[in-house]
Amino acid sequence: MTETSDGGGGPPRVAQLRPGLWDTVNERYPGSMIDKADFVPLAPLRKPLSECRLVFISTSGVQPKGSMPFDTVHPVGDYSFRRVPSASRPDELEIHQLKYPTASANRDLNVIFPLDRLRELADEGVIGGLAENFYTFIGYNMDPERLERTLAEDIAAAVSEEGADIALAAPA
Amino acid sequence: MALDVTEHAKPPRAVFLPWMMGHHFGVPFHRDLQRRVILECLDHLVSAERSGEVRTLPIPWVQARKEGIEIERRLGLRP
Repeated sequence: MTETSDGGGGPPRVAQLRPGLWDTVNERYPGSMIDKADFVPLAPLRKPLSECRLVFISTSGVQPKGSMPFDTVHPVGDYSFRRVPSASRPDELEIHQLKYPTASANRDLNVIFPLDRLRELADEGVIGGLAENFYTFIGYNMDPERLERTLAEDIAAAVSEEGADIALAAPA
Repeated sequence: MALDVTEHAKPPRAVFLPWMMGHHFGVPFHRDLQRRVILECLDHLVSAERSGEVRTLPIPWVQARKEGIEIERRLGLRP
Protein backbone atom coordinates (compact mmCIF):
# COMPACT_ATOMS: atom_id res chain seq x y z
CA MET A 1 0.00 0.00 0.00
CA THR A 2 1.18 3.48 -0.75
CA GLU A 3 1.09 5.33 2.51
CA THR A 4 2.25 8.62 3.89
CA SER A 5 2.71 9.82 7.43
CA ASP A 6 2.92 13.32 8.81
CA GLY A 7 5.52 12.12 11.29
CA GLY A 8 3.28 12.94 14.21
CA GLY A 9 2.65 9.35 15.18
CA GLY A 10 -0.88 9.31 13.79
CA PRO A 11 -2.24 6.58 11.55
CA PRO A 12 -0.77 6.51 8.04
CA ARG A 13 -2.91 7.97 5.29
CA VAL A 14 -3.31 6.27 1.94
CA ALA A 15 -1.78 8.43 -0.76
CA GLN A 16 -4.16 9.80 -3.38
CA LEU A 17 -3.42 9.65 -7.07
CA ARG A 18 -4.74 13.22 -7.31
CA PRO A 19 -4.12 14.98 -3.99
CA GLY A 20 -5.70 18.40 -3.47
CA LEU A 21 -8.30 17.90 -6.17
CA TRP A 22 -11.11 19.65 -4.30
CA ASP A 23 -9.04 22.81 -3.68
CA THR A 24 -7.67 22.83 -7.22
CA VAL A 25 -11.07 22.67 -8.90
CA ASN A 26 -12.80 24.98 -6.45
CA GLU A 27 -10.11 27.62 -6.87
CA ARG A 28 -10.65 27.73 -10.64
CA TYR A 29 -14.44 27.27 -10.53
CA PRO A 30 -15.59 28.70 -7.19
CA GLY A 31 -18.68 27.02 -5.77
CA SER A 32 -18.58 24.13 -8.21
CA MET A 33 -17.54 21.51 -5.66
CA ILE A 34 -19.85 19.86 -3.15
CA ASP A 35 -19.08 21.03 0.38
CA LYS A 36 -21.50 19.89 3.07
CA ALA A 37 -21.30 21.47 6.50
CA ASP A 38 -22.65 18.56 8.51
CA PHE A 39 -22.88 14.81 8.46
CA VAL A 40 -26.32 13.34 7.92
CA PRO A 41 -27.55 10.92 10.61
CA LEU A 42 -26.44 7.36 9.98
CA ALA A 43 -29.45 5.32 8.79
CA PRO A 44 -29.29 1.88 10.38
CA LEU A 45 -29.87 -1.24 8.35
CA ARG A 46 -33.36 -2.51 9.20
CA LYS A 47 -33.02 -6.08 7.99
CA PRO A 48 -30.29 -8.55 7.07
CA LEU A 49 -28.33 -7.92 3.88
CA SER A 50 -29.60 -11.22 2.55
CA GLU A 51 -33.10 -9.72 2.53
CA CYS A 52 -32.17 -6.31 1.10
CA ARG A 53 -32.82 -5.21 -2.48
CA LEU A 54 -29.91 -3.18 -3.75
CA VAL A 55 -30.00 -0.24 -6.14
CA PHE A 56 -26.82 0.93 -7.85
CA ILE A 57 -26.39 4.64 -8.57
CA SER A 58 -23.52 5.78 -10.75
CA THR A 59 -22.02 8.90 -12.32
CA SER A 60 -20.57 6.76 -15.09
CA GLY A 61 -22.86 7.96 -17.86
CA VAL A 62 -23.74 4.34 -18.65
CA GLN A 63 -27.10 4.12 -20.40
CA PRO A 64 -29.15 1.73 -22.50
CA LYS A 65 -28.30 1.85 -26.18
CA GLY A 66 -30.93 3.93 -27.96
CA SER A 67 -31.79 6.14 -24.98
CA MET A 68 -31.22 9.89 -25.18
CA PRO A 69 -27.46 10.43 -24.81
CA PHE A 70 -26.30 12.56 -21.90
CA ASP A 71 -25.29 16.07 -22.94
CA THR A 72 -21.59 15.71 -22.26
CA VAL A 73 -20.57 19.09 -23.69
CA HIS A 74 -23.06 21.42 -21.99
CA PRO A 75 -21.01 24.06 -20.12
CA VAL A 76 -22.87 23.62 -16.80
CA GLY A 77 -23.62 19.91 -17.11
CA ASP A 78 -26.60 17.62 -17.62
CA TYR A 79 -28.97 17.27 -14.65
CA SER A 80 -31.00 14.39 -16.02
CA PHE A 81 -30.72 10.71 -15.16
CA ARG A 82 -31.26 7.42 -16.98
CA ARG A 83 -32.82 4.20 -15.77
CA VAL A 84 -30.71 1.16 -16.55
CA PRO A 85 -32.60 -2.14 -16.11
CA SER A 86 -30.61 -4.29 -13.71
CA ALA A 87 -31.28 -7.26 -15.99
CA SER A 88 -29.36 -5.58 -18.82
CA ARG A 89 -26.44 -7.28 -20.48
CA PRO A 90 -23.29 -5.15 -20.81
CA ASP A 91 -23.57 -5.27 -24.60
CA GLU A 92 -26.97 -3.57 -24.33
CA LEU A 93 -25.37 -0.53 -22.68
CA GLU A 94 -23.07 2.27 -23.77
CA ILE A 95 -21.16 5.08 -22.10
CA HIS A 96 -21.79 8.78 -22.69
CA GLN A 97 -19.31 10.61 -20.51
CA LEU A 98 -16.08 12.42 -21.32
CA LYS A 99 -14.62 13.10 -17.91
CA TYR A 100 -12.92 9.83 -17.09
CA PRO A 101 -10.89 7.28 -19.06
CA THR A 102 -13.26 4.70 -20.52
CA ALA A 103 -10.79 2.37 -22.24
CA SER A 104 -11.02 -0.24 -19.47
CA ALA A 105 -14.79 0.11 -19.07
CA ASN A 106 -15.26 -0.43 -22.79
CA ARG A 107 -13.47 -3.78 -22.44
CA ASP A 108 -15.16 -4.82 -19.19
CA LEU A 109 -18.02 -2.62 -18.02
CA ASN A 110 -17.78 -4.11 -14.53
CA VAL A 111 -14.85 -1.83 -13.67
CA ILE A 112 -17.29 1.07 -13.30
CA PHE A 113 -20.72 -0.55 -13.53
CA PRO A 114 -20.48 -3.98 -11.86
CA LEU A 115 -23.67 -5.48 -13.25
CA ASP A 116 -22.32 -9.02 -13.42
CA ARG A 117 -20.79 -8.99 -9.93
CA LEU A 118 -23.96 -7.58 -8.34
CA ARG A 119 -26.09 -10.17 -10.10
CA GLU A 120 -23.79 -12.93 -8.84
CA LEU A 121 -24.07 -11.67 -5.26
CA ALA A 122 -27.85 -11.60 -5.60
CA ASP A 123 -27.90 -15.12 -7.06
CA GLU A 124 -25.74 -16.35 -4.17
CA GLY A 125 -28.05 -14.77 -1.60
CA VAL A 126 -25.43 -12.39 -0.21
CA ILE A 127 -27.96 -9.66 -0.93
CA GLY A 128 -31.68 -10.19 -1.28
CA GLY A 129 -31.90 -9.03 -4.88
CA LEU A 130 -31.53 -6.09 -7.20
CA ALA A 131 -33.90 -3.22 -7.82
CA GLU A 132 -35.57 -3.41 -11.21
CA ASN A 133 -33.56 -0.40 -12.36
CA PHE A 134 -30.21 1.16 -11.63
CA TYR A 135 -29.68 4.92 -12.03
CA THR A 136 -27.00 6.84 -13.84
CA PHE A 137 -26.06 10.42 -14.61
CA ILE A 138 -22.86 12.22 -15.54
CA GLY A 139 -20.45 13.55 -12.97
CA TYR A 140 -19.82 16.86 -14.71
CA ASN A 141 -22.30 19.23 -13.07
CA MET A 142 -21.04 22.68 -12.11
CA ASP A 143 -23.92 23.72 -9.84
CA PRO A 144 -23.98 21.51 -6.73
CA GLU A 145 -27.05 23.24 -5.31
CA ARG A 146 -29.05 22.50 -8.46
CA LEU A 147 -27.68 18.98 -8.44
CA GLU A 148 -28.99 18.44 -4.92
CA ARG A 149 -32.32 20.21 -5.50
CA THR A 150 -33.21 18.44 -8.74
CA LEU A 151 -31.18 15.43 -9.83
CA ALA A 152 -30.51 13.99 -6.38
CA GLU A 153 -34.15 14.44 -5.33
CA ASP A 154 -35.42 12.96 -8.60
CA ILE A 155 -33.29 9.86 -8.20
CA ALA A 156 -34.16 9.51 -4.51
CA ALA A 157 -37.87 9.62 -5.37
CA ALA A 158 -37.46 7.03 -8.13
CA VAL A 159 -35.45 4.73 -5.88
CA SER A 160 -38.05 4.99 -3.12
CA GLU A 161 -40.83 4.06 -5.53
CA GLU A 162 -38.93 0.94 -6.53
CA GLY A 163 -38.67 -0.26 -2.96
CA ALA A 164 -34.90 -0.53 -2.75
CA ASP A 165 -33.54 -1.15 0.75
CA ILE A 166 -29.90 -0.25 0.22
CA ALA A 167 -28.01 1.88 -2.29
CA LEU A 168 -24.49 1.54 -3.59
CA ALA A 169 -23.42 4.86 -5.11
CA ALA A 170 -20.21 5.13 -7.08
CA PRO A 171 -18.44 7.91 -8.95
CA ALA A 172 -16.61 7.14 -12.13
CA MET B 1 -10.47 8.40 -6.44
CA ALA B 2 -10.08 11.62 -4.44
CA LEU B 3 -10.29 11.36 -0.67
CA ASP B 4 -10.53 15.11 -0.15
CA VAL B 5 -13.56 15.31 -2.46
CA THR B 6 -15.23 12.53 -0.47
CA GLU B 7 -14.46 14.28 2.82
CA HIS B 8 -16.03 17.53 1.61
CA ALA B 9 -19.19 15.74 0.41
CA LYS B 10 -19.56 14.00 3.80
CA PRO B 11 -21.40 10.82 2.76
CA PRO B 12 -22.61 8.80 5.75
CA ARG B 13 -20.52 5.81 4.66
CA ALA B 14 -17.78 5.61 2.06
CA VAL B 15 -15.08 3.24 0.90
CA PHE B 16 -12.05 5.01 -0.53
CA LEU B 17 -10.13 3.31 -3.33
CA PRO B 18 -6.77 4.87 -4.25
CA TRP B 19 -7.20 3.94 -7.90
CA MET B 20 -7.35 5.65 -11.25
CA MET B 21 -10.57 7.33 -12.36
CA GLY B 22 -12.78 4.99 -14.36
CA HIS B 23 -11.71 2.00 -12.25
CA HIS B 24 -13.72 2.21 -9.04
CA PHE B 25 -14.38 -1.52 -9.07
CA GLY B 26 -10.92 -2.50 -10.22
CA VAL B 27 -9.45 -3.56 -13.51
CA PRO B 28 -10.86 -5.49 -16.50
CA PHE B 29 -11.60 -9.20 -16.03
CA HIS B 30 -10.41 -9.20 -12.38
CA ARG B 31 -13.59 -10.70 -11.02
CA ASP B 32 -12.22 -11.31 -7.51
CA LEU B 33 -11.17 -7.69 -7.10
CA GLN B 34 -14.44 -6.33 -8.49
CA ARG B 35 -16.30 -8.56 -6.08
CA ARG B 36 -14.10 -7.61 -3.15
CA VAL B 37 -14.86 -3.91 -3.60
CA ILE B 38 -18.58 -4.57 -3.43
CA LEU B 39 -18.25 -6.87 -0.44
CA GLU B 40 -16.14 -4.24 1.34
CA CYS B 41 -18.92 -1.70 0.74
CA LEU B 42 -21.58 -4.10 2.03
CA ASP B 43 -19.54 -4.89 5.12
CA HIS B 44 -19.05 -1.19 5.79
CA LEU B 45 -22.78 -0.68 5.37
CA VAL B 46 -23.39 -3.14 8.20
CA SER B 47 -20.52 -2.29 10.52
CA ALA B 48 -20.07 1.51 10.36
CA GLU B 49 -20.83 3.01 13.74
CA ARG B 50 -20.99 6.73 13.02
CA SER B 51 -21.81 8.91 10.05
CA GLY B 52 -18.84 9.94 7.97
CA GLU B 53 -16.70 6.85 8.48
CA VAL B 54 -14.46 6.35 5.45
CA ARG B 55 -12.99 2.89 5.03
CA THR B 56 -9.96 2.31 2.84
CA LEU B 57 -9.30 -0.74 0.74
CA PRO B 58 -5.55 -1.34 1.25
CA ILE B 59 -4.74 -2.27 -2.33
CA PRO B 60 -2.57 0.22 -4.26
CA TRP B 61 -3.25 0.94 -7.90
CA VAL B 62 0.03 -0.64 -8.99
CA GLN B 63 -0.97 -3.96 -7.42
CA ALA B 64 -4.45 -3.93 -8.97
CA ARG B 65 -2.96 -3.16 -12.36
CA LYS B 66 -0.29 -5.87 -12.11
CA GLU B 67 -2.86 -8.48 -11.15
CA GLY B 68 -5.08 -7.38 -14.02
CA ILE B 69 -2.26 -7.70 -16.54
CA GLU B 70 -1.48 -11.21 -15.29
CA ILE B 71 -5.15 -12.22 -15.61
CA GLU B 72 -5.31 -10.86 -19.15
CA ARG B 73 -2.18 -12.84 -20.05
CA ARG B 74 -3.75 -16.03 -18.70
CA LEU B 75 -6.88 -15.30 -20.73
CA GLY B 76 -4.77 -14.77 -23.85
CA LEU B 77 -5.85 -11.15 -24.12
CA ARG B 78 -2.33 -9.72 -24.08
CA PRO B 79 1.16 -11.10 -24.90
